[in-house]
Amino acid sequence: MNKLIITVLAKDRPGIISQVTTDLFELDCNLENVNQMILQEEFAGFFIVEAPEGLTPESVQEDLTKRNNGNGLTIHVHALDTETSSPFDSTGGEIFLITTIGPDQKGLVARFSSIIASFSANIVNLKAVFKGGKDPNDNVMSYQVAVTPEIDTAGLFAALRQKADELELDIRIQHKNIFDAINKI
Amino acid sequence: MFEDHEIISTIEMVKNENLDVRAVTLGVNLFDCISHDLSEFKKKIRAKIIGHASSLVETCDQVGEKYGIKVVNKRISISPIALVGASFNSDQMVEIAHELNDIAKTVNIDFIGGFSALVEKGMAKGDIALIEAIPKALTETQRVCASVNVATTKAGINMDAVLEMSKAIKKAAAMTAGDDGLACAKLCVFSNIPQDMPFMAGAYLGVGQADAVINVGVSGPGVVKRAIERNLAEQKLTLGRVAEIIKRTACKVTRVGELIGREVADALGIKFGVVDLSLAPTPTVGDSIGEIFQALGLSHIGVPGSTAALAMLNDAVKKGGAFASSHVGGLSGAFIPVSEDLNIANAAHKGYLTVEKLEAMTCVCSVGLDMVPVPGAITEQTLAGIIADEMAIGMINGKTTATRIIPVPGKKAGDSVHFGGLLGEARIMDVPHCDLEDEFVTFGGRIPAPIHSLKN
Repeated sequence: MNKLIITVLAKDRPGIISQVTTDLFELDCNLENVNQMILQEEFAGFFIVEAPEGLTPESVQEDLTKRNNGNGLTIHVHALDTETSSPFDSTGGEIFLITTIGPDQKGLVARFSSIIASFSANIVNLKAVFKGGKDPNDNVMSYQVAVTPEIDTAGLFAALRQKADELELDIRIQHKNIFDAINKI
Repeated sequence: MFEDHEIISTIEMVKNENLDVRAVTLGVNLFDCISHDLSEFKKKIRAKIIGHASSLVETCDQVGEKYGIKVVNKRISISPIALVGASFNSDQMVEIAHELNDIAKTVNIDFIGGFSALVEKGMAKGDIALIEAIPKALTETQRVCASVNVATTKAGINMDAVLEMSKAIKKAAAMTAGDDGLACAKLCVFSNIPQDMPFMAGAYLGVGQADAVINVGVSGPGVVKRAIERNLAEQKLTLGRVAEIIKRTACKVTRVGELIGREVADALGIKFGVVDLSLAPTPTVGDSIGEIFQALGLSHIGVPGSTAALAMLNDAVKKGGAFASSHVGGLSGAFIPVSEDLNIANAAHKGYLTVEKLEAMTCVCSVGLDMVPVPGAITEQTLAGIIADEMAIGMINGKTTATRIIPVPGKKAGDSVHFGGLLGEARIMDVPHCDLEDEFVTFGGRIPAPIHSLKN
């Protein structure tokens, strides 16, 4: 199995996905997973492909870069490690949304994520939007955190609440299912 | 991942719009506790209720914490005491009430409902003993709630029971005169009482229910009001569109209740029963049914247009709830309790809402004349007449209606009353001609059940 992970960064515009996937098709790569996001005006795309034997990450990167010369795309290709499994096992874990609302300050994500990491909890998704201004709802961080049975949940939540108090942020810690119940009908 | 607006709106519902689970009510069947020996009966009901409820409060708090939604009240409903304690006299019924009160304290719940009787077609020995015991039982206890069903669509109205309940209410008020007749705030008279209602004071566990069951009462008038306001601020809407917004909001709120109720039930190893989505207000600003009427463009609840608005609101809430859950029960609609809703109490005080208008509105809402303080001088006959009128509305329309009327001893229309906590405060509503002693209600017997065809 020759799996590659390709990351593409660019100023967002129409046609990026089309261009990259056409190139991969022409290289005889089979697309297995794609995800993309737009942060402010920047496009970031992630592609996992199964490449024909003989294609190396270096050759694919060189080919893709050549094909997109002048397109403003920054492309990185790495071999995907399919042998080693993730050291984190989220089996039996529950997902909590930890949301902080309040003015932007430097180091917010670092402070909260380090607390989460210190309890060995895994952030499975993070969204942070800081638009500035006076509306607190314009400055929101939301972490989806997998909390497994081994984790000291009460201790983690208490530490997060204490940090939010120190930083004068409003913090809400709620199980993911409540958001599903209200929003996913 | 959720969108920003989904996260913010969910948090806003809890933080600023008073979304909560108003009541998780554990129903406990007491039929296997029946005994002719009072001490044995008390021992059995104590063991059974505490056996099921010992960790009710703790579990509700844990689940509430997990989802960030507060479970405000944890309560217990039981099989009607008039049935399971049918062999006891009224003094013994009062002793049972004391036992229930003590059990409620032991498991740290605020109310236990089911000091109840079902007498729509006639009163048996246990029913008579219970009704006779109600004034003393509610005076001497704090956490026991009583209800008596005197009418159904299939049986008609038991007018003997209506008059007996009027007497019991007057007596209960007199015995708690120092507290503005507070005992009556724990006493409901019903037509078509639901068997699975989680809300007090009318909650009891019906005879067709499981051995133990968790029923959940969800509220959320603040959420509905804000949804209407937000949408009206963005664009002009027809009432059909407003009803759709109410329905969708009710659906979301119901799903919250079911999620939490099922988790509590699973944790306790008890069957989940129903979600009762009822817009039940509290005296807090922003948690009011009256404010919804104002969001709908009415200056006050009670002005012309109010009955139509309430009909739309009640129906949209039911539709939203029914879409959200296959197990919707209880009352599921909109409550209009006068003293428990600051906005409604103010509308009544200013004369926009009268007793007559309130009665008309109960034709289309999910309860009836709820938490209505009236002059203490009201006669038994007039009070019985009001109860009979309300029961007739429920009987004919095939819906639940109830009265929770407080004749406040020594006070007259316009005087202030304060019941405290969620029971709120209000000015006493004027009841025209409340000193009449008309004979109608003293004829006794039963008003026959209505015909179920030729409806117009």
